[in-house]
Amino acid sequence: MEIMRLVVTGPVGAGKSTFIRSVSEIEVVDTDRRATDDALLIKKRTTVAFDFGRLQFGPDMALHLYGTPGQSRFDFMWDILIQKAHAYILLVAAHRPHEFREARRIMTFMKQRSPVPMIIGLTHTDCPGAWDAANIALALGYPNPARRPPVVAVNANETASVAEAVIALVQYTWAGSLAPTA
Amino acid sequence: MAISTEKLTSILQNFVTSTTDIQGAAVVTPDGLPLAATLPGGMDEERVSAMSAAMLSLGERIGSELARGGIDRIFVEGDKGYGILTSCGEDAVFLVLADKAAKQGLLMLEIKRTLADLKAVLM
Ligand SMILES: Nc1nc2c(ncn2[C@@H]2O[C@H](COP(=O)(O)OP(=O)(O)OP(=O)(O)O)[C@@H](O)[C@H]2O)c(=O)[nH]1
Ligand SMILES: [Mg+2]
Repeated sequence: MEIMRLVVTGPVGAGKSTFIRSVSEIEVVDTDRRATDDALLIKKRTTVAFDFGRLQFGPDMALHLYGTPGQSRFDFMWDILIQKAHAYILLVAAHRPHEFREARRIMTFMKQRSPVPMIIGLTHTDCPGAWDAANIALALGYPNPARRPPVVAVNANETASVAEAVIALVQYTWAGSLAPTA
Repeated sequence: MAISTEKLTSILQNFVTSTTDIQGAAVVTPDGLPLAATLPGGMDEERVSAMSAAMLSLGERIGSELARGGIDRIFVEGDKGYGILTSCGEDAVFLVLADKAAKQGLLMLEIKRTLADLKAVLM
């Protein structure tokens, strides 16, 4: 059985833990604790180590999904998790533009440590004030639509939507590994 | 939650200075924020707190998932010393950093005693 390790990262409240809970076939390992800081403005609990879930992908492959904490004081966990990842998805809440800068910071952190493929997942696109994909990509540092990672909309609460995002990530990863190395 | 940071800090300072071979101690929230800390120079309070919370959360998870029960403490033994995490009621985690020379029995006794003091303040 081949194992592909996928990391789900992004700022606080983007939906990383929810994302993994929505598709995992095993009961997820979560390390959410009661929030006592600004995270409280968004929700009651926050991840302090990682989330872990598993998803069978075809007969020969298992996906291991690791969710990072969102808060930067846990960046040692970002480092640990990205080291072993085959690919990752950066989740960004489309309706909280003041967090785009933090999303970009996380992305830079990951890129400095790992060259593996990344896609961007926009959550909360159903919420009032959500930005569109082109503008978010711009805010994340991708002015040229032809030269940016795939951007997908995903509702972390919906299993089908999360499954689509996972498939997009796996396919993008495969496409990259098949491409001739220049 | 009105936690007396001053009282916590003085308990920690007392503990660190009066116990031989103890290099530092901290009390942090379960989501990894410092409540009080007396740490060796060069160690970042925020980082130490976040690591303590992450470690305890995984330890607790191992306790429940691998049927070890409730976790009393997590013990990290390196060739330079010990890091000991003890859960301190619902709302706090107690971290102790000790020198390799520390006597484990004595250390545990002191930790237990200090834990009671901390809990009294955290109540
Ligand atoms: N309306 C809406 N809500 C969403 C969507 N995606 C996620 N959510 C909600 O956003 C919240 C995200 O919470 P978590 O999954 O704990 O967020 P997280 O990214 O793990 O946060 P940290 O662990 O604190 O960094 C949950 O309440 C989800 O129900 C979406 O697309 N639309
Ligand atoms: Mg989370």
